[in-house]
Amino acid sequence: MTTTRRRFVQGGLATGAALAAPATIRAQTTPSAARTLKAVLHGDLRVFDPIWTTANMTSYHAGMVYDTLFGVNDKFEPQPQMVSKWSLSDDRKTYTFELRDGLRFTDGTPVTAKDCVASIRRWGARDGGGQHMMARLADTPVKDDKTFQIVMKEPYGLVVEWLAKAATNVCYIMREKEAGTDPNQQISTIIGSGPFVFNESAVVQGQRYVYDKNANYVPRSEPAVMTSGGKVVNVDRVVYENIADEATAIAAIRAGEIDMIEYPNVDLLDSLAGEKDIKLEVLNKQGQLGWARVNWLHPPFNNVKARQAMLHLIHPTEVMKATFGDEKYFRGCSSLFGMGTPMENDANIDWFKGAPNIEKAKQLVKESGYDGRPVVVLQATNIAYMNNAANLIAQWMRQAGFNVSLQASDWGAVVTRRAVKAAPDQGGWNVFFTSGSVNAFGNPVSLSGHAANGEKGWFGWPNNELHEQLRDKWAGAQSDAERKQIARDIQQNAWDFVPHAYFGQWFQPAALRNLTGLIGMPELIPFWNVKKG
Amino acid sequence: MLSYLVQRLASTILVMTLVGIFVFLLLHLSAGDPAAIIAGDYATPQQILAIRQRLGLDDPLLVQFGRWALRVVQGDLGVSIFTSTPVSTLILQRMEPTLSVAVLTMIFAVSIAVTLGVLAAWKAGRPVDRLLMGFSVLGFSMPTFVVGYCLIYVFAIELRWLPVQGYRPIMDGIGPWFLHLILPTITLGLAYVALIARMTRASVQEVLEEDYIRTANAKGVPARTMLMKHALKNAGVPIITVIGIGVALLIGGVVITETVFNIPGIGRLVVDAISKRDYPIIQGVILVFSGIYVLINLAVDLSYSLIDPRIRH
Repeated sequence: MTTTRRRFVQGGLATGAALAAPATIRAQTTPSAARTLKAVLHGDLRVFDPIWTTANMTSYHAGMVYDTLFGVNDKFEPQPQMVSKWSLSDDRKTYTFELRDGLRFTDGTPVTAKDCVASIRRWGARDGGGQHMMARLADTPVKDDKTFQIVMKEPYGLVVEWLAKAATNVCYIMREKEAGTDPNQQISTIIGSGPFVFNESAVVQGQRYVYDKNANYVPRSEPAVMTSGGKVVNVDRVVYENIADEATAIAAIRAGEIDMIEYPNVDLLDSLAGEKDIKLEVLNKQGQLGWARVNWLHPPFNNVKARQAMLHLIHPTEVMKATFGDEKYFRGCSSLFGMGTPMENDANIDWFKGAPNIEKAKQLVKESGYDGRPVVVLQATNIAYMNNAANLIAQWMRQAGFNVSLQASDWGAVVTRRAVKAAPDQGGWNVFFTSGSVNAFGNPVSLSGHAANGEKGWFGWPNNELHEQLRDKWAGAQSDAERKQIARDIQQNAWDFVPHAYFGQWFQPAALRNLTGLIGMPELIPFWNVKKG
Repeated sequence: MLSYLVQRLASTILVMTLVGIFVFLLLHLSAGDPAAIIAGDYATPQQILAIRQRLGLDDPLLVQFGRWALRVVQGDLGVSIFTSTPVSTLILQRMEPTLSVAVLTMIFAVSIAVTLGVLAAWKAGRPVDRLLMGFSVLGFSMPTFVVGYCLIYVFAIELRWLPVQGYRPIMDGIGPWFLHLILPTITLGLAYVALIARMTRASVQEVLEEDYIRTANAKGVPARTMLMKHALKNAGVPIITVIGIGVALLIGGVVITETVFNIPGIGRLVVDAISKRDYPIIQGVILVFSGIYVLINLAVDLSYSLIDPRIRH
């Protein structure tokens, strides 16, 4: 067969059409750029099961796909979300919940009371608040397809608060099929009844996670406030873009390739300041809280005086300046519950008013009987604020008389080493630094780091019986006013025995390009209510 | 030739076995607990322990190694600790972007570098030669990320001709695929242009000093024929060697370019896996790339005899 010019042209056209066909098909099924919101969030989405992990990125993902029985308003008060009405029996032990009409999972099946009970039980096996509630749970009878009960052994004031809480682990409602999975094993099917559908076929692991508008979602009629109210979706698609390089993310928003960066690098904020279509806005108004955990199991921090010294020697402003520069993005923190949470109070904060006070710290170190042994401080060098905190606090610790051994590694190695209970010279540690959402610190029961139950507790293993009794009392309180009073008592006691120390609270702004209606809240980026353009 | 091939393939299996053992031990003896990373910062030690048990990370090292080795022998590279996705699937997903960058970079680099190298050799010692070699020093010395950011600033932000970042699969159409690869290719290619151009210049210049070239010159053979037919062909072995090494390095080492241009390739996959301590991915990628590296070297060795029949294994 000879190749003629005509045959050659025909072949070329056929090849072109074949190559173009997939693109044409995709173009027909892909929402337009104007109806697609692309966001760069604070990290990669590694796990899709919000019960299996406490990672915030997973909770963000779950907030798109799943719905919750209750949400919170801007005062963090529980509001019905999937629930239409609920009641509490006169003996304050039986809660009855009825689901609202029209709730469907994205596979078309209706959401039933059985799904809710199974989801609550799986969540309760993992979450700190859930475990607290489950320990006092008598039964969860299902009355009919839309009605179920939570029956407690004794009056318990936090049932609705736990179901509504927006801090990880959130009690997201899954199908009974997935919710029946062992809580220690990941679910493999992601089907919820939330405002978005997870588009797994468009996902590129490590780079892009795609959520399409759930056309069958029936929002509540109230306006959207935090996680409560009508979750009305105004775009067709939301894409989480994982751009590892911060400078590239900034360039991408400047070029209009993405619409939002959750936490743009603070060193690069100035480069966005002159862009007319980009605004900087603090979405998480409670912010993040940096804390230094001290190890109670070994000297010198098995002595209360040495722990108190840590309160006096830290200069939060200096630590924050080193990382966040502009003072409008940070502040100190004197409350055990973080500043700006409903439980914030000013009990027993004289140490804060006088801090930093190296001389006082020096005196306390001396009184603690510290023998000069090396104090192992873990330094995660790949996370800027942790690295800076370690450098500065180690320096102040030296000035106060500690013989500091600063041990550098990446954060992955720190999370392994902090679990080691052996003495610091045998692979253990004395101090490590981390951070958490201030919203989570506002709850003394659900945040595992608030526990002071010794070796059964969170890394650092503080031990104080009165603290534990007060946490129990807080959980049993029947009103907000009572809870706030107990929170004062908890703080009064805590700043005497010092479970840990804080090194600053910060509020990193998001960069938004032509977006309106984004609901600012801690520990979640809600993509309902948002409009492009 | 056949016995040489069999011998090389046998040594490949041995090398990969040793690499596998080394990587397995190195990863498990280094600090970093995937269970703790999975569980998140608020998780309790009990929750972390439960995850460790579920993943089998509490088993003795020998048991873990045996389990892994058995699977590998059966062609199963395991599943990601975090996503439960098969490692082979992840590698295949990431192969297209990495190969796209690597192939385009080598086409770009070889076509420019060989031309520049031959020209520089022909004009050795003259201003053109000095200019070209000066350019190659610059190309080699500029850090990849600096070149990348400069190109992004000029062509993506200021001129808006090209996208800042991202990758479009070839199935989305050749146009979008190519547009997204222009800046990464130039960024990565500059260093290879410099490397191959210098090697070409040196090799060609050496051949140009041979007696048979002088004879050809004296006989009046045209310069173009002399350069392309005699000099370049005979200078081919070291050039092919550099290109072969370059391809192998490119496939495994485009991490910075993939990061700067947000390309979901193998480099990004392995860096993410290291930060997460996702052992099966790290082991799988290293095994696959050890294999590719050895095979490319084998191909380069075999090509010698095709270029220069005097070389026989």
